[in-house]
Amino acid sequence: MTFFTRLKNQLIARLITRYPQLAKRFVDAYKPWESEGEIPWVRPKAPLAQCKVAMVTTSGVHHRGQPPFDMQDSDGDPSFREIDGESIGGDFLITHDYYDHADAEKDLNIIFPLERLREMVGEGLIGKLAKKHYSFMGHIDGRHIPALITRSAPEIARRLKAEGVDVVLLTPA
Amino acid sequence: MGLIQREIEKAGIATVGVSIVRDYSEKVRPPRTVFVRWPFGHPLGEPGNAPQQRAVICEAFKALYALEEPGQIVDLPFAWRRFDYAKYQEPESFPPT
Repeated sequence: MTFFTRLKNQLIARLITRYPQLAKRFVDAYKPWESEGEIPWVRPKAPLAQCKVAMVTTSGVHHRGQPPFDMQDSDGDPSFREIDGESIGGDFLITHDYYDHADAEKDLNIIFPLERLREMVGEGLIGKLAKKHYSFMGHIDGRHIPALITRSAPEIARRLKAEGVDVVLLTPA
Repeated sequence: MGLIQREIEKAGIATVGVSIVRDYSEKVRPPRTVFVRWPFGHPLGEPGNAPQQRAVICEAFKALYALEEPGQIVDLPFAWRRFDYAKYQEPESFPPT
């Protein structure tokens, strides 16, 4: 993808964020994956006050030292970044050309509300927070969908299980 | 995002997602979703508005315990910038007692 294509994507993203009525055309043009068959389903094991909670986001946030998501590939990037909950607030970048993240850069909590969750732990509403959270770049399409479903997503599910996470809150961009 | 959510739930972890495009959630069919009709890049609301962010999180956790059927989407009643979040009543626990 050329420099100008990226610039065009960033400009469109800014426009549809500022003028949501323009977003409808963009949304209608995109054909999301349609899931067939049974929807996976488990009930939370305990009241939230006894659960360990982790976050997964598709907003493209990552630590400064991590490789950015691949914005050159028009099918997106199915890889993920492991997020350290303690340090992300003061050490983050957002790599994602398909939405305007100016506001999220001012307050990360609008896409990745760790500070709010931490308050809720302090108030006894949530048992505890996981140390590790996970971030994707949401614009994943075409040949990368199988990679997402068969590799990246099961891998983070495995890691969340290994950390003893009971509940996951997911946020898009 | 819904595809990732499905894989996590498949592994036995309960999940709830915030959606800003209802149409995508209807097609991808994640286990549980709360939907807000808000601009891209703002699933929890506006920068610096902690009560607004808390309200969305509380509604998501409420849905986590209240929904009985896989694939349900809850339309949240929060109008962008026209809802008084100071008046939002948070539950005292999840599930509420």
